[in-house]
Formats: sequence, C-alpha cells, structure tokens
Amino acid sequence: MNEKLSAFHIATLIYMIENNIVLFALPRLVAENMGTNGWVGYIFLALVSTGNILLYLVVYRMGKGRSMFDILEKSLSKWILYPVYAGLAVFYIMIASFVGKNFFLIFQMISFQTSNVMFIFLLFCIMVYFLLIKPVYSIGKAATVFAFMTWWTLLLTSYQAREWKLVRLTSYFFEDPAGGQVLHNWAEVYTSFIGYELCIFLFPYVNKKSKLFKGVLYGHLLTALAQVIVLLTAFGFFSFQQLQSLLYPIIDMLDFIEMPFINRVENLVFVIFVFGNLISTTMFSFASLSMVKRIFPKTRPKRLEFLIVLGVFIVGFYSKYLSQSEYQLRRVLFTEIGIAFILPMLLIMVLLIQKLRERMNSHEH
Amino acid sequence: MDIFAKIKHFFVAGEQEKTTVKEPEKNEHPSLEHTIRQFENSMDFIHRTYPHCKVDVIYLAFLVGNDQLLQEIIQPFTDADEEQVKTVLSRSQYVVVVDSKECINGILNGKAAVFFRDSTYLVDIAKPAGRSIEQSETETVISGPHDGFVENIGQNLGVLRQRLKSSHLKFIKLEVGEVTKNVVVIAYIEGLANQEIVDELIRRIQRIEYNAVTDSNMLIQFIDENPNSIFPQFMTTERPDAIVSKLVAGRVAGFVDGSPSGFTCPTAFFDFFSSPDDYYQRWLIGTALRVLRFIGFLITISFTAFYVSVTTYHYEMIPHTMLLNLTESRAKVPFPPLLEALLMETTIELLREAGARLPTKVGQTIGIVGGIVIGQAAVQAGFTSNILIIAVATSAIASFVIPSYIMSASIRLIRFGLIIMAGILGNLGLLMAIGMVVIHLAGVTNMGTSYLTPLAPINFKDMLDTYIRGPFWALRSRPTIVRTPNKKINKMRK
Repeated sequence: MNEKLSAFHIATLIYMIENNIVLFALPRLVAENMGTNGWVGYIFLALVSTGNILLYLVVYRMGKGRSMFDILEKSLSKWILYPVYAGLAVFYIMIASFVGKNFFLIFQMISFQTSNVMFIFLLFCIMVYFLLIKPVYSIGKAATVFAFMTWWTLLLTSYQAREWKLVRLTSYFFEDPAGGQVLHNWAEVYTSFIGYELCIFLFPYVNKKSKLFKGVLYGHLLTALAQVIVLLTAFGFFSFQQLQSLLYPIIDMLDFIEMPFINRVENLVFVIFVFGNLISTTMFSFASLSMVKRIFPKTRPKRLEFLIVLGVFIVGFYSKYLSQSEYQLRRVLFTEIGIAFILPMLLIMVLLIQKLRERMNSHEH
Repeated sequence: MDIFAKIKHFFVAGEQEKTTVKEPEKNEHPSLEHTIRQFENSMDFIHRTYPHCKVDVIYLAFLVGNDQLLQEIIQPFTDADEEQVKTVLSRSQYVVVVDSKECINGILNGKAAVFFRDSTYLVDIAKPAGRSIEQSETETVISGPHDGFVENIGQNLGVLRQRLKSSHLKFIKLEVGEVTKNVVVIAYIEGLANQEIVDELIRRIQRIEYNAVTDSNMLIQFIDENPNSIFPQFMTTERPDAIVSKLVAGRVAGFVDGSPSGFTCPTAFFDFFSSPDDYYQRWLIGTALRVLRFIGFLITISFTAFYVSVTTYHYEMIPHTMLLNLTESRAKVPFPPLLEALLMETTIELLREAGARLPTKVGQTIGIVGGIVIGQAAVQAGFTSNILIIAVATSAIASFVIPSYIMSASIRLIRFGLIIMAGILGNLGLLMAIGMVVIHLAGVTNMGTSYLTPLAPINFKDMLDTYIRGPFWALRSRPTIVRTPNKKINKMRK
C-alpha cells in the first residue's frame, strides 16, 4: 500500500532529526556564545528558524507540491544540475557521518574508552542501512517509536527542582559571552536546529491530507520547547560560570539523580539519544540518496543505499578525536545553515521566473 | 560478461521477467474405470455393485458413516429397478459431477460416487472423526466461556454460527495443499469487513503451492508479507469468543480443516497483548492487566540483558546498598556475566521445552528438578549468582504473561540477541539491539496495514482499546486498521 506520511509522523521525524546529542552540550553552547540568560536568545533563534521553514512553505505552495528536482529541472539544464546534486550528495554524506560519529566519540568519554570506536560506528551504520532501505513512511514510523522512547527523559528535569534557584538566572541579558564575533557565536547555537530543512526532500512523499508544514512546524516547535525546558533547568541549576566550563552540562545534571534502585542514570539516558543521531544520520543519508537517485534513476533496490552507508562509514574514519569531530561538525553545519536559507530562496526565484515566462507565453498566444 | 557489464548489472535494474500464467488443464469426464484405477490397492476403497439396476458405488470405508451409507446408498438401491434409481438420483442430495478430478476429490472428502449409465453423482455420506468440544489448553481464561475449537472445521463453523447469529456472516470455502487438499474457510461479516482485505486474503490463499498445509499456524506463514520476520503477523486463537469479537470488529477470520485454531487479520503487534479475559473483567482491572502485560514484555526483553550490561560495564549504576550483595554473589562465579546469563537462559528454555513435550504427570517432575537445579544447586556450586537467577526467572515468568504463545516465543528468542549485544556494548548495545527490533517492526505490515498501529501511525482512539481496556461506553468505533466501511460500533448499517 502506498501510504503517505501524516502530520504527526512528520513532526516526530523533524523532532528526532533536530533533537540529537547537541542537547547534551546545548546549555554550554548557549552560555558560551550568548552569555547570561542565553535561553532568551535561543527562543529568538527558534523564531528565526521558523521563518526559514516558512520559506520552504512558500516553495511548497508556489511549486504546488512539486519536488525540488522537478522545479529546478524545468528551468535548468541537467548538465548544470547533476554536478550540483553530486556535490550536495557528498556533502550530506559528510554531515550524516559527522553527526553519527560525534555521538560515539562523546560516548567514549563516559564508557568504552578502550573499544575501537569504528567497530561501534560500524554497528551504527548497519542500523542506518536497515532504516534507509525502508520507505520514508517506515522511517517515520520508527522515528515515532524512538521519539516516545526519548520523551520521558524530559520528566527527569523534575529531579533538579529542589536545587533550582531563580537567582542563578541573573538579571543580566547576553553578558559575558566567551568571545568571538556575535554572528559566529549565534550561528553556533543555531546549528542545534539544523534538520528542519530536510523537509524539502519529503515533498514527493506527502499529499494535501498529510499537512506537511503543520507537521514540520509542530516538530520544530516541540524541539524548541523541549530544549528551552532543558536550558531553563540547566541555567537555574548550575551557575553561569559552571555552565561555561562544563563540557556536557546535561551529563552532570543527570549524574545528580539518585534513585533507590539505580544511580548514574546518564549511562542509560545518554545512550537513548543514539536514536536521535540515528534518525539524523539516516535522514541526511536519505537526502543524499534522493540526490543520487535523481542522477541514476534506474538502479536496483538497496544498491545505492549500501553505497551511501558505505560512504558514511568511510568518512567516519576522518574524525578521530572529539575535538576534531566537533570542529568538522561545526564546519559542515555552518555550511548547512547557509544551504538551508539559500536553497528555498533560489527555488522561489526559479519559480518566479517560471511563472513570469508562463505569463509571457500566454500573452503571446 | 566482462567486469563493467557485471558492475552495471549489479546496480542497474533490468526489465522484470514476465511470468506466464498456466492455463488450468481440462479434466476428463468421470468414468468408473478411471476412478477405480485411482484408488486401487487401497484397503479402505469400497466398490459396491448393483447389477440389477446397473449402479456402481465407490467410497472410502473409514470416511463414511454407517447410518448415512444405509440411508443414501444401501436402502435406495438394493431392490430398485432402473426407473426407481432414476427417481432416487433426481433428489437434491445426489449432485451430478462432470469432472473426474471433482469426483475423486468428493470421494476423498467422504462422499460416495454413484455411477449410473453415463452419469456420475456424488452424495455426501461422510461421518467426520474427531474429538468433542473441549477447553483450550493453550489459552485458558478464568472467567468467560471455556470452549475451544476442535480439529473438525464443520464443528468449528457451527460453533461460530451459534455465537454469531447474523445472516451477514459469510463463509468462503477454499482448498490448499497439493496432496492433502485441506479445506480452508474464510469467515467475515459482510458490511463490517473490508472487502479488499477479504479478496486479497483469498488471492493469497489461492496462490499457495505446497504439498500439505495442516494447521492455521502453518497457513499464515504462507500468506504473510514478511515471511522472514521473527514476529507472527496473524493472530491465531483456539477460542471461539475471541474470533467472534474479532469478526464484529470488522476483521476477517480463517480456519483450516484439521486445525483447532483459527486466524484473524489484520493484526498489529500490540493486539497480541490483549486477551478475551480483559473484556470479562471490570474495565479498570482489564486495563491493569494490559499494563501488567506490557511491563512483562519490557521485563522479558530487557531484564537479563540489563543485568549483563550493568555487571559487565556499568557497576556505577548500582546503588551502594545493593552493590555489596551483588559483588558477594558474583564473586564465586568464574564466568563473565554474558556467558553466565546465556547459560541460565538456555537452561530455562530447556526446562520450558521439556515441560511442553512431556505428559502432565512427568512434567511436574521436571518442575521440581529444574527448580532445585537452577534454583539452589547452581548458586551453591558457584555456577551463577543469586541475582541472575532472579533476573532469569522473572524474565521467564514475565514472558508467559503474554497471552499469545507464538508471540511469547518470538519475544523470548529476540531476548538472546539483546543479551549478546548488552554483553558486547553494555547499555549502548542493549539500546542498539532494541533499535534494530524497532526498525524491523517499522517495516512489517499485515494485509497492508502497519504492524505498529496505533503507535505508528498514531491513533489515540485506538489506543483506548490497545494499551488500556477502555470502558465500553468509550469504545465507540471499530479499530482503524480494519479499514471497515462501518466505523461506528453498535450499528449494523444495512
């Protein structure tokens, strides 16, 4: 049965793409780059990214649901587009790989320090492969189950309530950021939202009933809400200086929880977020797959998927240490922010030109 | 083929080969000689002749009832002349057959073939052999009806008719098994079941090519969409009340002659956790039972694996108060936790399998021996730790809480995968293994509907009768997965 994605699944899919391991470092990222009460700035950035999503909505409406490829190929030659597709495909493989690998490098800070990280990454890539060979509808279903498995962790923030002090939020706004340029700093925080732009690849898999953008917006706002809750908890739990110096404040926050039958829940909660990275990696691989499929439409099933996951695995060899991985990840995510804004604008321009031409043609007739 | 051509062939999809549909062969007109030839050398084959009226009768001795034989064959033909035979054969129970294959199938089904002049007639004189209706041993309930299906399909359908007195209940007869020719009956309520699902089910059953399909649990493996999945995709049950409740919900049921269980579809993963018992209790108790089963499911798949993970890699997760006991208990054990857990889990599985195979009286001995061996002796011998025994035993008990035996067996098997992954990568391995199961489940469908309904695709209304057992006043619509044209419960639109 050719089933279409529903708004709820799109929402959970977007939530899972955006909500990955960045969450664990987010309070530090915000404190470092935005200064005191950075969470307000974070809300502002959430609104900016919502604006970006609206650009995609314009593309969807103007293009009447046509895919990005259909829109571009109507106006531009394949000789120009195919190299761009290929370049983007490689780029998405890189993001997929860096996002996936980053998780395991952080994971090795907590446990399995002596294990070969590439072995763990190989197992992860096998999971990505099995998810990628399924239709996007099934990926959405898996993302929904994974989302349910992560949502309950938000309840753990209630354990911090006893130690939460309003005074720690301070009365200053955006003071003492750790240096650097403002735009660069804020862009660094913005990377935590990256993922919503993949909605453009879902155009062929939805119909009007799916309410694609309702799903994307809800998913995005849900992410923002969850992260604001975490940020507020962290800002009131740790002092500002602590936040700036702790590498992964959420891990320390979880460390604080002690239950009668279990301690150190970060060992469990942290690994649950592997599903966030799994969906992120899979969806970036899916974006890459969409590009490659456009270039080679007549391929046997599962072959391209294998090559892409193989690519993800091989690129994984490139980042060996955590600092290196963080640096690479930041580089590709900055580029992705650019793409997220430029792509819909470009598409809107192409669509406007197409409309103009159509109008001129009809006048001539 | 050179190397480039091979690579191209690997990646590029070629045109699919056209499959040719074989025309069914035309069978010849039934003849006495041909029929005798088919059955010769078989001791139960009976050929009666009535030369005075030129009638020949053929049947299989052990399939027919004496009373029926006397009434339909011996009495009418013994002293009849040809004219009287003509009158007898014009009665409605004597059906003319023109196809020799149909004639032979009829005899195999307990009918008698009557050869008179050039015509052949079949008359049903079968007396089915089988046990009377008894309680199902695999699915017992405390309150509610106790009868279970039996091996005879006629009896089963009779029981169903008695419970579901609706002219809309339809039975469709099909046949499977190249050699055994088992009768399969599809049952559904017209107007409640989705006709597309009924048609699709019939198509799939007709496509089966196998020499013998002897049980419902076997049949469903031929018709499911994911034959390599570890999870059952059709619900099978031995309880008539369960089948009735599925039918009125708009599902389609099926029976195989010779099998005491019927199957229903479409089915989702979570349906396997509900029991007819839930509806015979107050709704709050029914809900508590369902929640208990889901907790049981979580314990079954993860408790032992979590033990392995914690004792191998994450000792820091154990609170101080428990740590001393655990280390003391583990100190004597010479094996790593993974090996220890696998040993114990295998022993439990051996016990379970032995208990299932042995007669009830001997089965009790197994329980005692097993209890002493794995309970006390294994710990005293330093073979395993006390806490692992608790983990393994709790997981085993929890697995039996799941009402469907087939689902429970599947879950017990995947548990081994989880334990091994927990032994390799601790909590991460455990979560990754659970992730793999979820990925697999997300791809499974049953009759075109998602196996994870109502979780994905999400449906809050259906959750009322899945994760909990909502009160009857709240259960107002039929489940969405059945895609029924008649969504509202309580009404039978004509």
